[in-house]
Amino acid sequence: MSSASKASRLGEEIWKTRIEKVNAELVVLTYGTIVAQICKDFENDYAEVNKQLDRMGYNIGLRLIEDYLAKSNTMRRCSNFRETAEMIAKVGFKIFLNVTPTITNWTGDNKQFSLVFDENPLADFVELPDDGRAQDQLWFSNILCGVLRGALEMVQMQVETHFISDVLRGHDTTEMRVTLVRYIDDELPPEDD
Amino acid sequence: MVIYSFYIFDRHTECIYSKTWLPPPPAPGAQPQHDISTSTTGAAVASSDPHHHNPNTLRSSRSAVSAANKASDDAKLIFGTVFSLRNMVRKLGGEDDAFISYRTAQYKLHYYETASNLRFVMLTDTGTLSMRNVMHQIYINLWCEYVVKNPLAPVEHKGGAGVRNELFELGLNQFITGLIGQAGGQR
Repeated sequence: MSSASKASRLGEEIWKTRIEKVNAELVVLTYGTIVAQICKDFENDYAEVNKQLDRMGYNIGLRLIEDYLAKSNTMRRCSNFRETAEMIAKVGFKIFLNVTPTITNWTGDNKQFSLVFDENPLADFVELPDDGRAQDQLWFSNILCGVLRGALEMVQMQVETHFISDVLRGHDTTEMRVTLVRYIDDELPPEDD
Repeated sequence: MVIYSFYIFDRHTECIYSKTWLPPPPAPGAQPQHDISTSTTGAAVASSDPHHHNPNTLRSSRSAVSAANKASDDAKLIFGTVFSLRNMVRKLGGEDDAFISYRTAQYKLHYYETASNLRFVMLTDTGTLSMRNVMHQIYINLWCEYVVKNPLAPVEHKGGAGVRNELFELGLNQFITGLIGQAGGQR
């Protein structure tokens, strides 16, 4: 069986049996409130808002990975970055957000791919502010970039993540680009005498 | 089944949790009320007036310090050992191979490592079966629930910060006691 269908079965199975569900609207409203508050705090400096969202996500990711490993009963590492992508999309996003983004646009060196979100539970009911700038500058779901970056760092992958399109901005799709920078080496115990 | 001790090491190779179920070796002349603060005053008095100090106080403070040093040395040694063994195992058996345990005439050491490079080590008597699953359960049910999901605990547990909380300690104790009870009941 291909690793892709194995991953989706695993994601489905965990989602059905091991995940406590929470009202989706509560999540949407909570996340929306946070973004709105950050916009206010940084006086609509959307570049800064993106950065803050990414940082919050990063801190979430550092912890969320442990929950992911526990729920998915992962005992071994993915053998390559393609497998990692499958697990992110079909297990990670599935069990925490109940969505399965499509993996596409791989580069030839297998180090860069896109996640295309057909649905994005964070963005239900959302309309970006009509100030002429938010449409070009704010990445509303930028927290997801941080989550991915933090989570992968804990399993020794340094990645770079950013959105390149968002339906909220009027694009056709919502697409996140993920780039593997490097695998992080094991830390060695300090030398002592 | 006898469990002697249990250690957790983080990805920075630091020992962030350790627990032993061995009775501490009795320190000669040590009295339970001699805590660190009384022994330091004892030492201060001793330096100003060499005839006045109580040798027992000094010795007990020294043995408390040396016990703490010994525990941290033990942890470092254990980490060095399991780290080297794990690397050797991977070199010989391939990246996916895992170091599970080793056994001496006196004890058996069990090892479990998560994908996030958290390392669990448990020392038991030689007859105990694999504790890998037990440590996996500790990771899932205790570590994730009580340490990772505690929003006020730090992400990095430098010096063991945030690990030694009440729920984790209680959960671990109950879990281990339950295991030993089960094993005892089967005999």
